[in-house]
Formats: sequence, C-alpha cells, structure tokens
Amino acid sequence: MNNSTLPNNSILKVEDAKIHFGGVKAVDGASISVEKGSITSMIGPNGAGKTTLFNLISGAIKADSGKVVFEGEEIQKLHPHQIAHRGMIRTFQGAKVIKRLSVLDNVMLGGQNNPGEELFGFFRPRARTKFEEDARSRAIDLLEQVGIDRFADEYAGILSGGQRKLLDLARSLMAEPKMLLLDEPFAGVNPTLVEKLITVINKLRKEHQLTFLLVEHDLETVMNISDKVIVLAQGKVIADGLPGSIYENDLVIDAYLGSRKKT
Amino acid sequence: MSVFVQPGFWIFVISMAGIYGIFALGLQIQYGVGGILNFGHVGMMALSSYTMAILVITLGWNFWVAAFCGVVVAGLGGAFLGLTTLRLSGDYFSIVSIAFSEIVRYVIFNSDGLTGGTQGSLNIPTKVQSDYPNSTYMGTWEPFITWVKDALVRVFGEIADRDMAMALIVWATLGLLLLLISRLEKTAWARVLRSTREDDDVPSALGKNVFQFRLQAVIIGSVIAGIAGIFWALQFSLLSPEDFLTIVTFYGWMILILAGAPKVKGIAIAAIFFGFLYGGTRFFTFFPFSLLDASQRSYLRVMIIGIVLIALMLGRPQGLFGKRQEMVLE
Repeated sequence: MNNSTLPNNSILKVEDAKIHFGGVKAVDGASISVEKGSITSMIGPNGAGKTTLFNLISGAIKADSGKVVFEGEEIQKLHPHQIAHRGMIRTFQGAKVIKRLSVLDNVMLGGQNNPGEELFGFFRPRARTKFEEDARSRAIDLLEQVGIDRFADEYAGILSGGQRKLLDLARSLMAEPKMLLLDEPFAGVNPTLVEKLITVINKLRKEHQLTFLLVEHDLETVMNISDKVIVLAQGKVIADGLPGSIYENDLVIDAYLGSRKKT
Repeated sequence: MSVFVQPGFWIFVISMAGIYGIFALGLQIQYGVGGILNFGHVGMMALSSYTMAILVITLGWNFWVAAFCGVVVAGLGGAFLGLTTLRLSGDYFSIVSIAFSEIVRYVIFNSDGLTGGTQGSLNIPTKVQSDYPNSTYMGTWEPFITWVKDALVRVFGEIADRDMAMALIVWATLGLLLLLISRLEKTAWARVLRSTREDDDVPSALGKNVFQFRLQAVIIGSVIAGIAGIFWALQFSLLSPEDFLTIVTFYGWMILILAGAPKVKGIAIAAIFFGFLYGGTRFFTFFPFSLLDASQRSYLRVMIIGIVLIALMLGRPQGLFGKRQEMVLE
C-alpha cells in the first residue's frame, strides 16, 4: 500500500495539469497519484502551487490543460458541488465555518441527498422529517467524536480557530466521503489538537478506508502519518515517495529544505 | 382634519400596509435568508399586475385565471433575472436588478398599444364585450369582494364596507404566506440557502449547487411580489407605470430592515408601522409642518421614514425582531 509505484489502486490521479494566472505558471505540468485508503501529503514552500492544485482537484478552479481522474472518471470540467457529490470533500485553509448557523446546522449542511433540501421536499414533510432526525443524531454523534458537542446549539461564529477546524472535519465527515482533501489541517493548531486530529484521521482511515490528501507547509508535520509525500516546487512535482526518502532527495533539499543543509 | 377620524382612510392604509408586507416578504426570503440584494423587486410586481390587467381587459379572460398567470409571469421574470445575472457576485446583481425593474417600467411606459402607456390601464385596448367599462379589470373580482363584504356586514353590521373586505383578504393572504414561508425557513432547504448568504465555497464543497438555491429563492420571492402586484392592481382599480418606481422596492426594504431581515415574524408588524408612517404624515398639518404646503408635506413621510431608519440603525441595528448576536459574529 505504501509503495507509490503501484498505480492500479489509485483513487485520484492528476495528469500533466497546467494552470497559469496571467504570466505566472502556478501549476506547470504536475502529475500526482493518490492510492486508495492512503494518507498522502502534498508539501512545498509558499507559492509552490499546492493550494492551486488542490483547488483544481476540488473543482474550484479549472486547468488550462491536463486531466483530473477520480475513481476512473474525468472530473476536471465538473463544478465543485458535482465533485463533492462523487464523494470527494474538501476542507479550507484556516477552516471556514458558516458563522451565523449553529454548530449543529453547520454539520448537518454536510449531509448528502437530503430530501428536505429540494424545494419540492417541502410537500413531503414525512420523508423530510425522517431524514432530518436521522441526520441530526448522526451530526451530534460526529460532534461528540471530535469533542465539540457542547457547542452544538451555539453560533459557529463563536468557536475558536482550533474548534473551527474540528467542526470543518465533522462537517466533511457528515457527507460520508470516499476521499477527504484537507488544506493545511495542522496550521496554527496547538500540539494537543494536532495529536487529536491525527488520531481521528488514522481512525477514519482504518475504520472506513477513507483516503486522505493533505496539504501542509513542512515535512515535519506530516512525516509520521503520511504513506506518501509529494513535494511541489514552482508548480512542478520534484519528488514523490515515502516520507523517509524525501529527506534524502537532493532536489528537495535544494528547493525546499535548503536552509536545513546549511545548519 | 376630518379624515383623521374617518376609519375608512385607515382601513385603506391597513390594506396598503398588508400589500407592502406581502411585497417585503418576497424580499425577506431573498435577503433575510439568502443574502441576495434584489433592488428590482418592484419589477415583478409590475409584471404580474400588468399581465393580469391585459389578459382581462384585452382578451376578456376570467380574473382568477389572469391573476394566476400574472403571478406566474412574475415568477418567470424572477427566473429570467436570476438566470441571466445571479452568477454575478453580490453588488453587481443588485445593480442589474435595478436596471431590470426600470426596463420593465420603461417598456410598460412605451408600449401604448399593449399597456396603455402613460395613461395606464385606463388606456389598455379591449377587443371583447363585457358588462364592465372596458377600462377595468375588476369584472370577476367585484362580485367576490362584494360577497366578502356582505359576509362582513352580517357579522359586524353596516359599518363593514368594501375596504374592510379588501383589508381582510389582503391580511389573510399575508398571514397565510407568513405561515408558509416561516415553515419553509425551517427546512433543510433554507439551511443551505442561509449558508450561501455568507459564503459560496463551503456549500459548494459540500455538494450544494449554490446557484440553484439562489435562483429558487429569487423565483419564490418574485412569485410573492407577483401576488402583491395583483392586490396592488385591485386596491387602486387602475394601474400606471408611475406605480412601479424603484422607490417602491425601497419601501419594501424599509419594512424588511424595520422587521430585522433574518426573522420572518416581524414583517407584519413592520408593515403596519410603515403603513401608518406612510399614510399618517399627510395629517401633519400642525406647526411647524403647517409652514409647508401639501405637496411639500408629502415628502415628509420619506424624510420621517429615513429618520426612523437612521435612529433604528443607531439604537437597534438588528431591527425590531432580529438577533443582535448574528450581527457581531466574526
């Protein structure tokens, strides 16, 4: 599973993606592959194109050329909500919550195929109520799992940064995804909470065979939990392999960990 | 002033307040829930009332069928506005929506052969024979309101009149719509719409088609404006393009702001409050207002409404019924 040379088990593939903003080549021919059930991390210095690539995968921006394949289907032309429907759910840098909805409502927003979300569901109150009740108990369950259930009825806007990350995670899980894209899940989070997040991620992967793609700044943070690390620099993939092997890669050391060599 | 003590005038004001209340309810679902700043709301009201008037006067259709068609056309107007411009982000949609309602008004203004142009519904050409003067669409409505009036007379005695019947019908409709919309606002549909008022990315990332939810909200709001448009036409018995100036949209907004946008229940009370401000200022004949002449005094209501809104923003920015906590979250 940890071997990145096994391509036949990949759930997500990006092939030769190119995105430029004006004259800047944010992503310049990047190809990556994410194995099913793995935890893959994408790292790179600021401006390496991590977030752009991430936005491409989740459909928030479109590529100038290249392909994104999720479970055998090309998704590079789909809208974000269509990609989410297919079971790939993303979180946001700094965790976005809907501030003027309650914490519980935020989580329930993650539910998929809710008949109450269709306008005509208004005329099917029984189906609507049943679904809503089930969803509510599942949402409370998820809030308990991440440990913020005591805020369920408060506005999400009162939560601290760390709590918002937990809420973002619970909300994503509510969608019962096949794959989770986490954008800097550990940035600005205290060590205790990092450990908690890592425990949750590992548990989910074990119990639900969930696939994770993480974006992080530095290698240290993702070293212990990643099966595979992809290093981006200037819009290109410069290294790709087991976390341990990344340290020995000269390109990575030059482009990214250069300061490390000097000290 | 004698009109001051005449109940008839105030009942007329109450009907007007109810019509404005219905109108504002259409904005409430769009802005209060969906955060959509629609400044062209009056255009939908114009579409429905003129559609109804033309169908009845020109083609001799039954009033009820024509009224239904008018409301449908208002909904289609909302769909057209939404489909063409809702993809624009916030402020741009607002600007285009003003343009939309002005285009509707100018088209009505200039299509003499269809809408009667500047002379309004009195000048709509007719091709059919009817018992009523060819300039009015009140045909099938009159027997109905007379029937309601007669029922009221049986309960309240001779004091009941046609205006009272109208007020009853308008407020019953507003009550029903308030009930329906407040139910709708408790659904998962409204939860998604509420999330889109803050952010597009989160609901999209959770599989919600944000555009579709906004479009639905605009259409529902437009249908409600269409219902207000039918009552508007009936309240005045005639229509003119001048009834549908952009200021009418902003009167709707005033009610919404008074009520506190996110809460549906304040609409009725805010509408009454607005109605009395709107209708009442013409009786400001005492000093110092007596220094002004009648036409100057008619602008007073706009000024007073403005002052009330400013005072409200300073003292109670969440509106009469809004939640302050929702405004201070970061």
